[in-house]
Amino acid sequence: MAEGTCFVTFTVNLQGMSVDRALHGDNPAKHFGGKAHGRYMASIGAERMYGFFRSEGLKTTTFVPGWEAEQHPELVRAIAAEGHEIAAHGYAHEDYTNAAGEADLLAKTHGILTDLTGAAPRGWRAPTGLLEHETLAALAGLGYAYDASNQDDDFPYRLEADGAPGMIELPQTEILIDAELYSRRATHSKLRKWWREEFMAAYEERIYVQFTLTPRADFGSARASRLAVLKDFLDEIRALPDVRIVTCAEALGCIEDGTLFCRA
Amino acid sequence: MSGRLDSGITTRTHEWPGGKRCVAVLTVDFDGDCREVGRKETPLGKNSHGRYSAKCGVPRYLDLCDELGIKATYFVPGYDAEKHPDLVREIIARGHEIAAHGYVHEGWDPGEQEPALLKKSHDILTPLMGKPPRGWRSPGGSKTEVTMRTLIDLGYVYDSSEKDYDLPFTAHGPADRENKLITLPNNVSSLDDYPFYRVSYTPPSEVLAHWKEEWEAIRAENGFFDLTVHPRVGYGSGSPARVGIIRDLVKHMQDSGDVTFVTLEELADWCIARRDAFARDWEQENIGGTHG
Repeated sequence: MAEGTCFVTFTVNLQGMSVDRALHGDNPAKHFGGKAHGRYMASIGAERMYGFFRSEGLKTTTFVPGWEAEQHPELVRAIAAEGHEIAAHGYAHEDYTNAAGEADLLAKTHGILTDLTGAAPRGWRAPTGLLEHETLAALAGLGYAYDASNQDDDFPYRLEADGAPGMIELPQTEILIDAELYSRRATHSKLRKWWREEFMAAYEERIYVQFTLTPRADFGSARASRLAVLKDFLDEIRALPDVRIVTCAEALGCIEDGTLFCRA
Repeated sequence: MSGRLDSGITTRTHEWPGGKRCVAVLTVDFDGDCREVGRKETPLGKNSHGRYSAKCGVPRYLDLCDELGIKATYFVPGYDAEKHPDLVREIIARGHEIAAHGYVHEGWDPGEQEPALLKKSHDILTPLMGKPPRGWRSPGGSKTEVTMRTLIDLGYVYDSSEKDYDLPFTAHGPADRENKLITLPNNVSSLDDYPFYRVSYTPPSEVLAHWKEEWEAIRAENGFFDLTVHPRVGYGSGSPARVGIIRDLVKHMQDSGDVTFVTLEELADWCIARRDAFARDWEQENIGGTHG
């Protein structure tokens, strides 16, 4: 068993109707029923989830699409006021595949979040999981310090070789993204088993671990039953010695002061 | 028909290297970001899983093999070998076998391009290894008579892509080549990580239980256990939890005292020295044409 601190970050993708609109179109006359799962986020999902975080004293990094911030400015301000880090998450659930206008959407969302919270976001995550090296370069140009889209390392690493000098990758872990399992209709017990096994082995090796949650009902963790799963799991993690839960921005600080390893 | 069923073909037994009841091979299909590059995907974001192989997964398997005292066969696509020559050299330096696995993990029939592609990866691996690779596994399962002819002409001695048999055997064709490949079947339905971590999303502990049942059944038939893992995340077995169950599985098998772990190359050489014992009765199977 390795020694030292196991750094853990809980991230949230604040994905509401931006996802459903990307899938089904932007005609509000059709945003009902199965084409409107995303409404759950702003109606009850975020409130329940962030209430849970408050009762647990847990600070997350919350990735916010620009469009969601325009629709729900009070919600985003409230999340920031609770002490969560606000980071950027594209404008409205678009792919980043070097199509025309992508750099404008990055800048637009950057402006929306900066105006709303009074501070420029330092981190970004691709809303659909797709990005290009040019996306990273554009983010570096806007002054971003980190990306959290990749799923390819046990530790943070520098993004020089990927076209974004000065930026750091804070990688996700695929199977620790709730949507990966819940979108495939995993039961609570299956998710619990997966996360426990993957996390405990990662903890034994003291690698960097990032969880990703979504405040939705369909593929997220916002239903009461799923938050109960999260509560049990969080209790287990917190009972372990040498676990330190940090936001992404705090993880950067830990890299700077040498407590968290970062690959060159 | 009763004669056919009485032939006992599924329970035929062989002597194995090491003199144990069974033989086992741990095969590690490197599958770095060549797979995404081959599919015209940028290996970032949700398509970045292949980058885990070189950075984390392969080093973890090298340490695991040392710990368990076994040598493995690493199938390395040419593109990944070009990007990570030092890692390929380290795999060799630590006593493992390198075998060929396509250039960018072509999971399709490359058609007329195939001989040139096989030659390309062959020419990348040979100087890195200091000798030519002797084994090949299809990336994704595509294989034709063209593949077999080309592999034979390049000097390969075994293929590990067939799914129609439990035990090693001498290939039937092609008719226009005197040399025949040894076929070391790979079971991509049940002894591969992909179907569980990608198709059925089964947690590692249940995959371990499944593979232990596979082992016990193969052990009861004195057979050949050929496990395929991918050192990446996503569909692969690169993460600490998933490497952990490989450790548990191999230890469980070793504790039985009934198995020797070898490389596929060692097993192929064993079979070549006993070609008659590994012949199949093609007339009885009535398959027609070229085979395996």
